[in-house]
Amino acid sequence: MSAIPTIAEAARLIADKKLSPVELTQDCLGRIAKNNSSLNAFLLLTEERALADAKASEARHMAGTARGLLDGIPVAHKDIYNTAGIRTTAHSKLLEDNVPTKDAVTVTKLAEAGTAMLGKLSTHEFAMGGPSFDLPWPPARNPWNPAHFTAGSSSGTGAAIAAGFILGGTGSDTGGSIRGPAALCGIAGIKPTYGLCSRTGVLPLSFTMDHTGPMAWTVEDCALLLQAMAGHDPSDPGSANRPVPDFSADLSKGAKGLRIGVVRHFFETDHPVSPATKKGIDDALDVFKQLGAEIREVTLSPMADYHAAGSIILTSEAYAVHEPWLKTRFNDYGELFRDRIALGGFITAAALFQAIRRRRILTLEVTAAMEDLDILVSASQPGEAPKIDEVPKWGNLEKPSLTMPFNLTGFPAMSVCTGFGVGGLPVCMQLIAKPFAEPTLFRAGHAYETATAWRQQRPAMAG
Amino acid sequence: MITEEAFDVLAEQTGLPLSAAQKATLRAVYPTLRAMMDRVSEPLPREAEPAHIFVPEVR
Repeated sequence: MSAIPTIAEAARLIADKKLSPVELTQDCLGRIAKNNSSLNAFLLLTEERALADAKASEARHMAGTARGLLDGIPVAHKDIYNTAGIRTTAHSKLLEDNVPTKDAVTVTKLAEAGTAMLGKLSTHEFAMGGPSFDLPWPPARNPWNPAHFTAGSSSGTGAAIAAGFILGGTGSDTGGSIRGPAALCGIAGIKPTYGLCSRTGVLPLSFTMDHTGPMAWTVEDCALLLQAMAGHDPSDPGSANRPVPDFSADLSKGAKGLRIGVVRHFFETDHPVSPATKKGIDDALDVFKQLGAEIREVTLSPMADYHAAGSIILTSEAYAVHEPWLKTRFNDYGELFRDRIALGGFITAAALFQAIRRRRILTLEVTAAMEDLDILVSASQPGEAPKIDEVPKWGNLEKPSLTMPFNLTGFPAMSVCTGFGVGGLPVCMQLIAKPFAEPTLFRAGHAYETATAWRQQRPAMAG
Repeated sequence: MITEEAFDVLAEQTGLPLSAAQKATLRAVYPTLRAMMDRVSEPLPREAEPAHIFVPEVR
């Protein structure tokens, strides 16, 4: 086959015996063979495992024992997700020979759903700090133009999905690491509510800010992947013990009646975005209005308040995680991660606790603002992808992050492509819902995607 | 900008094996970090307690 199907399309074709999981996996492997050397999305390709998984899936489909819509779907994992017997490096020299003995819980869940696992994907070192050119492997590049950045840290997942190497994959998001690469690579990616997806077996960066979640070409596909990934995990102390809803249940409800709040000052004054990004958001609001949603303006505290509290907590927690290695193997880290994390050693205990106190105030603020709203809209990235060699070292501190507010508060948030800007590079918006209201988030995102044509356009290299 | 001497004291307290160049890099960005610490330290009501994430019951 030539066109790259979405997960939902592939599932239908496989169920109808019009597409073989083996053929689908081989198509992905073919695209990887052709283009991965330009993109560096894969750190490790597990071709034999992928084909074995695909053949087992095909046998289940032929025997009538398929495990569901993800059975036979090609996926891959960000290289901070532990994979039993398969090297897991965090893209770092410190773990270049690390071979875990157990899968991460979410890796197991996706395997049990019948997915075919193609390998391990590039990340920024330990999920923070890229793009780095001084690590054992080069950084991932953007399929829309390989001279440009993917954002990160789930950089390989974003690039691999946009390029059609896989149909879905895992990411993690501590300050925007799912939503950033989803935005710059023109795909969909959701940071679920804190506690919805297990983090057990995923290398930690920041205990109270880390989220695991899926990335895919469409919102609908993210819902399908999240269905397999979500659920209580007693081994994860942050895991929420509550039933997992049907994330696809509301997809067909459209946007009519949705109450949408626009946090305009976030992307117009607090961190002004590019003209194409702003136009994409304004056009999306028009689409929602035409679909019957109600649009209102919302004012929150300055984004710098969220950014300061989030950055102090994140950097302190990451420093605590890495302190033993920082003191003994300081120069084995790449420069970007090392220097950014080293700042954690300069944060006072009082400032950390003030940040944690402020977190509560800001979380209550967002809760109150959403009391009679279903969705918030903001930007997810400030603009089109910059050139990969022009990303500033301290860009994480220079301007407040558009994604950080929802790591700090734990609210679910996702990036959805809203078109293309300068150089044909993707732009996007960020949609946010109330805690554990992912079905509403998917409903809004899917309504927008199906009302627009952006999902029809792939990077040229994806054919 | 924090003085070199004052920053050296802070750097020493971290226990990190920083070279002179690495110290200079961190010293240059320290004012940004300091501004964030000051920002979160603006007065809060005494009863404003630290919190984790959110109260899941609030919908």
